[in-house]
This record gives sequence, C-alpha cells and structure tokens, in this order.
Amino acid sequence: MGYSRFLLKRAGQGILVIWGVVTVVFALRYITPGSPVTFIAPLDASQALKQEIAIEYGLNRPIYVQYIDYVIGLLPPNIDMGQSFAAGTSVSSQVFAALPRSLELAVAATLVAVMLSIPLGVISATNRHEPTDYAATTFSLMGISTPNFWLGLMLTLLLAVQFNIFPTGGMARVGGTPLLFTDAVGSLVSGRPQLMITWLSHIILPAVTLGTYFTALVTRLTRSGMLDELGKTYITALRAKGIPETLVRFRHALKNTLVPIVTVLGLQLGTLIGGAVITLRVFSWPGLRSVLIDAINARQWVILQGCLVVVGAGFVIVNTVVDALYAYLNPEVTV
Amino acid sequence: MSEESPNVDIDRRSFVKLAGAATATASLAGCGSSGDGEGDAEATSTPESDGETAADTEATDESSGESEDSGEFPVTITQGQMPDTLDPHDHRNIPADIVMRQCYEGVISRNRQGQIVEMLATEWRRIEPGRVRFSIREGPTFQQTENQLTPEDVAYTVNRMVKENVGFTSPQAGQLGGVTGAEVVDGERAVDVLSDGLNPIVFAEFAIYCDVVERAWTQDNDSSYVAQNMNGTGPFQLAEYEQNVQVTFDRYEDYWREPAAVSQLTFRSAQQSSARVNQVIAGETDIIVNVPPQSVGRLNESDSVSVNAVGSTRIIYNGMRANADPFSSQSFRQAMNFAVDLDSIITDVLQEFGEQTGQPTLQPFFGYNDEVEPYAHDPAEAERLVEESGHAGVSITLHTPVGRYLKDLQIAQAVAGMIDDLSNVSCEVKQRDFNTLASELTDGDITTGPKFYLIGWGNATFDASQTINPTLTSDGVLTSFQSDQLDSLITEANQAVETEQREQLLQQANAFSHEQAPWIFLNRQFGVYGSTNRVDWQPRNDERIDAYSISPAE
Repeated sequence: MGYSRFLLKRAGQGILVIWGVVTVVFALRYITPGSPVTFIAPLDASQALKQEIAIEYGLNRPIYVQYIDYVIGLLPPNIDMGQSFAAGTSVSSQVFAALPRSLELAVAATLVAVMLSIPLGVISATNRHEPTDYAATTFSLMGISTPNFWLGLMLTLLLAVQFNIFPTGGMARVGGTPLLFTDAVGSLVSGRPQLMITWLSHIILPAVTLGTYFTALVTRLTRSGMLDELGKTYITALRAKGIPETLVRFRHALKNTLVPIVTVLGLQLGTLIGGAVITLRVFSWPGLRSVLIDAINARQWVILQGCLVVVGAGFVIVNTVVDALYAYLNPEVTV
Repeated sequence: MSEESPNVDIDRRSFVKLAGAATATASLAGCGSSGDGEGDAEATSTPESDGETAADTEATDESSGESEDSGEFPVTITQGQMPDTLDPHDHRNIPADIVMRQCYEGVISRNRQGQIVEMLATEWRRIEPGRVRFSIREGPTFQQTENQLTPEDVAYTVNRMVKENVGFTSPQAGQLGGVTGAEVVDGERAVDVLSDGLNPIVFAEFAIYCDVVERAWTQDNDSSYVAQNMNGTGPFQLAEYEQNVQVTFDRYEDYWREPAAVSQLTFRSAQQSSARVNQVIAGETDIIVNVPPQSVGRLNESDSVSVNAVGSTRIIYNGMRANADPFSSQSFRQAMNFAVDLDSIITDVLQEFGEQTGQPTLQPFFGYNDEVEPYAHDPAEAERLVEESGHAGVSITLHTPVGRYLKDLQIAQAVAGMIDDLSNVSCEVKQRDFNTLASELTDGDITTGPKFYLIGWGNATFDASQTINPTLTSDGVLTSFQSDQLDSLITEANQAVETEQREQLLQQANAFSHEQAPWIFLNRQFGVYGSTNRVDWQPRNDERIDAYSISPAE
C-alpha cells in the first residue's frame, strides 16, 4: 500500500469514528434519566411551560428527525452544532472559541514533556546504574505517582500565593481580552516582549503540572527504548565502524526509539485537549474542558455534543498525523 | 489588578426610604433573588409589611456607593459560575443575576436590610385587587442607545417575562407568580401591572425580578445579540463579555444616580473553591464567594483579606414524603427531628456558618413565628416516638446532592449517623446528582420522588408563603406534604387584605408545620465571602453582590 493510500484509509476511518461519536452521544441524550426539557426549564416550571420550551427548541420532534438535522448541520463548511439552550447562542462559536485555549495549553504541556523527557531518558539509558540514571528514574517514579491536581495546588501555593512569581490561574489577558500564543508572538516580533512574558507567566504552571506526568512516562519509555536499541547488533556494528558515539545514540538509536514515543505523545495531546478536568479547574483555565464540564453540570446536551465531536475530531486528526509520522519513521506499517 | 488611586475624594451618598411591601417568589437550589436597593430617593417600608402602598414611608440613612470623584478604582469579583447568557430574563440562577443587576435595574428593589426601595419606579400602589400601579422615574437612560426610559419599556419588560406571544419564553415567568401582564396608563408616566386575583406579594416579586429592558433595542435585535450584549439603565455598562468566563463592566457615567465608585468591574469564574481562595490571598481578585469553612482559617491568617459571613435566605432541610411509610406517621417524623443534634451540626460540620431552624420560615421573614423553637436533641424521645409510630426496626435512605449546598453531604452524613444511632431505626446516605434529584422532586407527582431527601430552598421574597406554598402545600411544586389545614391557612393568607391578619395566618402555618414535622428542620445556610481590605463592602443575606455599594476602604 502506498503512503498516500495509507493516509486516505486512516482519514476514512477517522470520519467513521467521528460519526460514531456523534451517534453515540446523541443516543445517550435520550438514554440518560430526565428529559432535556427538564434541564432547560426552571425547577418549578409548569407542564405548560415545559411544553412551550419543547416546542421552542424542537425537542418535540421525532428523535430521528432531530438526529438527521444535527448530522447534516455538522457537515462542512458550516459546522453548525446548534444553539445553546440557555443562551440561544451558537454552540460552534462557543466551542471553537474555547478550542485554541485548550490546544495551546495541551501543546505547551507536551512541549514541556518532550523537552525534559527525551534528554532525561537518553541520559538515563546511556548512564545505566549510575547516579544520573537513579536520579532520572526516581524523578520518573515521582512524576508518575504524584496526582496532577495535587501538584498543581502545591505549585500554586508555593510559587503564586507564597512567592508571587506566577499568577494563581486563569489565562493571560490584555484588558478583558484573552491573550493567545499567536498574539504573544506577534507582540514579540513587534518588539514588545511584555505580552510574551505575561503569556508565559500564565501558562507555565498549568503546563508544568500537566506535563509532569507525561514527562515521567516518556522518560521511562525513552530509557527502556534506548536500552533496547543500544543492545542491538546494528549499534555494535556502527560502533565497530567508528561512528562517533553521539551519532550512534541520537541519529540511530534515538530515531528508532521515537516510534512508540510519537504514538504516546499523540495520544497524550488528544487526552490533554479534552481531559485533566480537575487539574485545569485548579488553574481556572477556560478551555474546552471547562465548557464540557459546565455543559454536563447544566445538562446542556447540545454543547456537550459539540465538545465531544470536537474532542473526537481532535483525537482523530492527531492520531492521523501520528500515523503519518509513524509511517515515515517506520515505512513497514504502510505495507 | 490595578491599585486604587491616591487622593480620592469620597462623596458619601445618603439615601433610602422604605416603603411597605414584602414577599414573593422563591426557588430551590440557587434561584430566586432580590435586587438591591440603595437609592437616593424616596423608598418604602419594611419587609414585614405587605407592600400595599409607598405612602408609609420611613426614611433610613443607608450608606453605600461611596464614589471617587476622580481616579480609578477597579474591582474584581470571582464567582463559582458565570452567566451563559446576558439576557436578563433568560436565566434562573443567582450568579447570573448578580452579574445582570450591575447593568439592569428593576422598578423597585431591596436594600441590604431587606426593605423594598424605589429604583426605576418612584411610587407604587395598589389601585384595586389585581391591579397595581408603578409611577416611572424620569431621567434614567439606556447605556447602549442613550434613549430615555419610558413606561412602554417597563410594560414591555413585564409582558416579555409573563406573556407567551412575545416570541420568547422566560424561565422567570413563574417568579412573577400571578402576574398576567402590564399596560401603560393613559396620560400618566405610569404602568399598571395586572394579576389574577389579589396577589398580595406582587410588590415583593417586583423587588426581585423584572430587570427593565429597552423595548426597541430588544425587539430590533435578534435573541443571540440580546444574549451577548447588555443595555440597561444601571450603574455599570458592559465592556466585554466572554461566555462562561468573564464579564467586564465600565462605570456608566450618565447613571441617573451618582456614578459608582468602582471604575471598572470584572466578574470572573473559578469553580474550584481553592482557586478562589488563592486568588483573593494573592490579591488577584477583591471579592470571592462561597468560601468553604475549612479555608476560613487561611483567609483569616492573611493580613490583606477579611472573611464576611451572613445568613442567606436559604433553608436546608430533609424532606420526608408524608404519603409514604414510615414518614406518613407524624410521630415518626417528629422522632427524626428529635434524633438530630442540630447544635452539633452547626458547630462541628458547618463550623458555626449556619443557624438552627424549627419552622419553614427564616427569622427575618414576614410570617416567621418567634414562639416556635427548633426541636431539641432527645434520642430517648425519638426512640419512644418511633415505637409509638409502629415503625420500629425500619431502614431508611437519605438522598442528598453533593456540593450543591454548603457541606450538604457532610450534613446528610451527620443526620443519617444520628438517626442510625437510634436503637430502632437504621439510616444510610445515598449521594445523588442534583439535577436528577431535583427533577424527581419537581415533576409535580408527589409519589415519584425519594421518600427522604436533603434539599435547600431559597426565598428572596422575605415572605413565609413563598417557602410554605411551593414546598408544603398539596399543589406545591416541591411538596412532600398534604394537609387541608395547611392548604387552607396559606390560601387564606394569600387572600388576606389586612397585613396583620395575613401575618397571623402565616405564623399559624409555621407553628402547624413545626408540629406536623414534614421536614427535619436543619439549618439556615450562610453565605461566606472573602474580600480584600482595599474594598469597603458588606455582604447581603439575599446572596446578591451590589457593586454600586462598593467603595475604596479608608
């Protein structure tokens, strides 16, 4: 199978997964106890008012009609996820406004993990049974066994409340407007580093908190992968040919170790977009997950569906990219 | 957060008068409200009166809203929740209402003491049964359009909330219970509000709800625009809105009273209580809500933060479905009350952030019966009454929401433990999702809900009827009890024209409720706030935060 065909197949599978997510989430809405109207109407609403609300939001129509309408609405280019029951505003705009905030934090946390874990894993593997190896292993075990939300609380108490180095939470803002990474880079380019500093000060604690677990995980993975590779005969052959040790380690051993690491990082990125709810609440980070949890609490099914579709699509896209990278690193998988 | 500016010249306003009226509308679980009402104009009576007229005015000097003549005084308030719409008539929760009331105003409102005061109406009176008249103030302007407030705007607002033919279904329709519509009075700058029957609590209802919108602006814009923009007559105008995250207001310089002391007002959301506590200690916000009792010590240790606690208008109780065994027995229900050590719950669970109750109505409310005491803790009497009821050996389950009310699960666990300690009853706790529990309790069918549950009822109308009517009368939306005697007392009270007679009837209803013990009467919930010492602010017992009353600390 060619590379392009492989990618097309993966994309097709991804679309099917998204459709499955949409269908399951839509079905769950009717399986969960309590009608959607109950959650929109005030607690003391009369039956007549509930009836009016059902008519107003089209909830009195047959389920299959609602389903078909919803799926058709999701199709590009409009991507209409419906209207929020509470606000009457577009769910798509709400979800797509939250998505970049989640993405930039997920990417930042992944970067923290990559920048720390791969060097640590390599150092640990190449210094096996030496103090640096033990230190890296201890760090990994601590990182894996420390609950993220606790780490977040401790970092906040120490570095934000006690020493006032970082803000306690929330996104960076200019006036009342959220400051995104792109804005910060723009200001940096135009010679105003202050916005970048502000952006960094807000994202460092949540990114480190979220990234710590994955740093530990990927460090372990890198270490064991490197140990595997370094023990293989081709490495002995490379060394016998007089290839410098740095090249042996980083160009040959590490490259082959990266295949499973890329897979894990891809899955991690997808998880971070929609997960880590408690940790992100500690930092009051207004991303997709807070929209998701608010929607669950308020039984805002339309918003919940929108979030899940976007999270599902995010997973699919990230994993398709990972598959592409995987195939690039290991062409055998396309066969 | 910027610093307050130096050399502020504080101009202290006096205001208020108080007029007669009280009561109406309640809500379970974080709904219901009262506005606030500091005005520099004539106002009216006390929460105990029935609000028939604004004539029985008693002037009261209430300080608030000290403002700076110059300089900036930005204030940030962090809540657990933020509004997901800015349409003032399309929500039913207090956090949203707190935000709305900075921009939108009602015709009348309540001050911190719970007294009804004037806002956009200068006078209000009953014309005849089912018809009351509000005289509309001249001068207020809408922030976005700069148009003058008109009686047509007020009438449209009322109709938008209660009528079906306006293209909008307001969840607040029930909050103006009995109100059927409004019309402009010919030849007068006034609006008549029409009700089914006497509607003795109509003024109390309007003191909480009816945020006045501009008719043309609301009709000319689509619902999505109205949900994301604000155009009120209040002291703050919308600067930026980020749905569910942050709302920023600027001071409205053309406000009909003196401009607010606060120059920029920001509402933020932090759902995690520890995040709110950290924010106020770090000085990133000025006021936080719902401080958990276990964090009070941390706040008290900070030199820059104060803890403010105030009794709210919410009562927490254990409903017992009187149509199901063993709760059909009055003796058994009384036994459950005797089994519970309320004092211990207030001290040990709530760390003193609560008050004992012994009747459905809270102490400052119209109709409260001060001769009724909370049940004493008497396990021996409880066991005797259980035997008398014929239900000895029974097992019961207490359904409770988690995290909805202050220490709700812990209160439920304490209650269940105390009942379980009786030799002849066993009790366990079942944790429930609030929305599911609430929908079971409010489906209009008394037979479908759990037999025994913990719930809270907020009643910002300060009127006993608005607690007893929905929770204990046979037709009440949240009722667990059916009694012809109680129904008749409430019906008579709702038809009574004389204030004194009405009060007596409500007091009788409270005494009867205590005797019948349809609930385990638990505690009055407290609102616990943290605020930085740079702001001068006092919490209110109706859970509202009136930013107009915030001034720089001296």
